[in-house]
Amino acid sequence: MAEITWAPYFEKMKELLAGLQPVGIKSCDGRDSAAAENIATPAGCGTVQAFTAEKIEKIVLGKLIINDEKQIGLCAIFPAEGYELPIFFSRWAEDKTSVGIFVDLIPTVDCLVDEPYRKKFCEPLGPLWEKFASLPGIAPEEHDGLRACASIIYTAAVIPIEREGMRLAALAPHTEYLKSYIEHCTSAAAAADVTKRAEMQRKIQCVRTTLKEYFISALAAPAGKACGAAMAEQLPDIFF
Amino acid sequence: MARVDFKDMIRFTEELVVNRKMFEGLELEALETYIGMDTRPAWEFKTPLASGFYKPHVLKGSDKIDKITYGELHYMNRAKYCALNFTCSDDYDLPIFACEFDETAPRLSITLDLMPVVDIAVHPEYRKKYLDPVADVWRTYRSLPGLSKDGRCLVQRRYAPWPWARASLSPYPIDGRVEEQESRYGVLDAVAAYARIWLEMMKKAEPIRDPGYKNEMLTRKRAIQKYYRELDPGGEVIKKLFGEEKMKLFVSLIF
Repeated sequence: MAEITWAPYFEKMKELLAGLQPVGIKSCDGRDSAAAENIATPAGCGTVQAFTAEKIEKIVLGKLIINDEKQIGLCAIFPAEGYELPIFFSRWAEDKTSVGIFVDLIPTVDCLVDEPYRKKFCEPLGPLWEKFASLPGIAPEEHDGLRACASIIYTAAVIPIEREGMRLAALAPHTEYLKSYIEHCTSAAAAADVTKRAEMQRKIQCVRTTLKEYFISALAAPAGKACGAAMAEQLPDIFF
Repeated sequence: MARVDFKDMIRFTEELVVNRKMFEGLELEALETYIGMDTRPAWEFKTPLASGFYKPHVLKGSDKIDKITYGELHYMNRAKYCALNFTCSDDYDLPIFACEFDETAPRLSITLDLMPVVDIAVHPEYRKKYLDPVADVWRTYRSLPGLSKDGRCLVQRRYAPWPWARASLSPYPIDGRVEEQESRYGVLDAVAAYARIWLEMMKKAEPIRDPGYKNEMLTRKRAIQKYYRELDPGGEVIKKLFGEEKMKLFVSLIF
């Protein structure tokens, strides 16, 4: 069987993240993230890199290639405490025949109740959300917990790869949503209202927990093949 | 494309309430006054262009129900705009059962959901308790032709022009458009399945005891009701047909 040229998920995302002027960090949530920077086992390889930046608590970007059969990519960005910014989360799951994607700016408030937040962070992505609705394989995210945290403009799909160019096309939602997030970072300010800050912090912790649970239930097993069970156990804390 | 004559359109209320015995075992009684309005003008109405009914109820001897409304608006022998809404009283945190079932010759437009009255990202236990029970039903019916098309599943998209409405939805909405008559009845099956699950949960519901949680719940519930009562595009149509006063009454009963 012909070898796959994996989509440059990690490279494209890292290129864009440079816009945040990220500074590398070596530990996340008490975990040694430096150990995840160079992953190489008989069954796989990859890298997970963690950063911080102005107004941002952490940025974690990673890719794992498992048995030359599957590439998983993840990117998570958490705002620094008090900053009115969503959580950026993107997942890439690529194999020989399909690419599963999820990308969102996950709200850090109840954006039904908080209309200005919704208008600022979610609604401007409406045209992109509509555009990506035409992607083949567009569908709601399957994981109920993750879908419950998602905003009104999340994009998810399992895109069948009928020709090689489609791998690159599947990258567009990730890069476009990330560009939007980076623009928001530039203008982001700390919320002055103590109640609002507390609401955001509470929701961030809840979403963090859900994302960790999501990783454990959906990604830990395939990731464990590439990086070993011990490292796979640390990755939820490193990413989220 | 399948076109369905008005005479062959689904008899929404009859199918659910009579044929499927939706409320069997529950003693419904008419709700005559709702938020200060006499509801009787909604029980049956007729103009040269439209006729129909919206019938609100409560549960006899129970404080759990704010309203259970079913109704239909028939427009010029061309279209039926049907609604089913179950809303608990403010001491209970059940999701709002909401169903818009709008049938015209070329298609049926549906939005069916259990709308959470708290932020479920912050309260995952709420999702597990009240919303996950419809997960299997959602996974079954979202693949109906029209809701899924050419390998794409399009639920969560009917409300595309109204971000506030999308923000009110649970992770399990059945929304979209179907054309074939068989699929239209499939949608009706989904409505019945969601309704039965909600009614079963209502029977077991306990009043909320935590005032902080209740306050949070009421903030979101009021926001949902305000949005639908003030901004639902259906309200504008009703206003043109029946005037402002009846519009306020009808939309409050539908939502």
